[in-house]
Amino acid sequence: MANPLRGEVVKLYKNLLFLGREYPKGADYFRDRLKTAFMKNRDETDPEKIKQMIARGEFVIKELEALYYLRKYRALKKRYYEHDE
Amino acid sequence: MLNLGVMASRVLVRYVRSLARPSARLCPVNVTVRAAAAPLPLNQRSFSLLSCSQRTRQTDQTRVPGSLVQLSRQYGDLPPLTLESIKDRVMYVLKLYDKVNPETILVTSHFIKDLGLDSLDQVEIIMAMEDEFGFEIPDSEAEKLMTPDEIVQYIADKKDVYE
Repeated sequence: MANPLRGEVVKLYKNLLFLGREYPKGADYFRDRLKTAFMKNRDETDPEKIKQMIARGEFVIKELEALYYLRKYRALKKRYYEHDE
Repeated sequence: MLNLGVMASRVLVRYVRSLARPSARLCPVNVTVRAAAAPLPLNQRSFSLLSCSQRTRQTDQTRVPGSLVQLSRQYGDLPPLTLESIKDRVMYVLKLYDKVNPETILVTSHFIKDLGLDSLDQVEIIMAMEDEFGFEIPDSEAEKLMTPDEIVQYIADKKDVYE
């Protein structure tokens, strides 16, 4: 409870949850997976390991953003150009 | 079926392209075509949009013949918040949350101690409240909000609602 990294973890969870709303498989799917991923490491106390995990979470955020950019780009491309079959 | 859809979209694309040429400028029929034809030069676009809005207005009037056309302004403002309405909305959001039993929840019940949620669920609840009331609750404040009552008090403070 008194862990100084707790705030950062909560912030990470909130950011991921917010990004997950647009997830292609649905927000509920994403939320369940996110929750289990966080709960799996709930007993971690080593600050170094927690920092590593937070960095991993930041990486996932970047991946999600890249995914959404790609999806947007594809949608635009599909609308503006002929389909090549 | 798929082929039909592809063909239809091609026809639509061709139609849009013919629209984009200034020689064949017609008033677009539906909203998607109108939105797709948006990259016209500015003066042409404003002309076509104007004529379209006039046209839709005319069809609206012809659709309800004889009835009194009433001009009423619809403001984007919401009815003023009261403590009661904030409480109702908070409880409504909580009852829709799938991990909360709608029968057992009280205004004073603690999320973690009484309702058996964990701190991650509490974060989700706070996010739902942010959505409902349309403003952001900072993390340092959010972690102190542990009962519906505290949420109501916090929102009332932020929105300047007093008894």
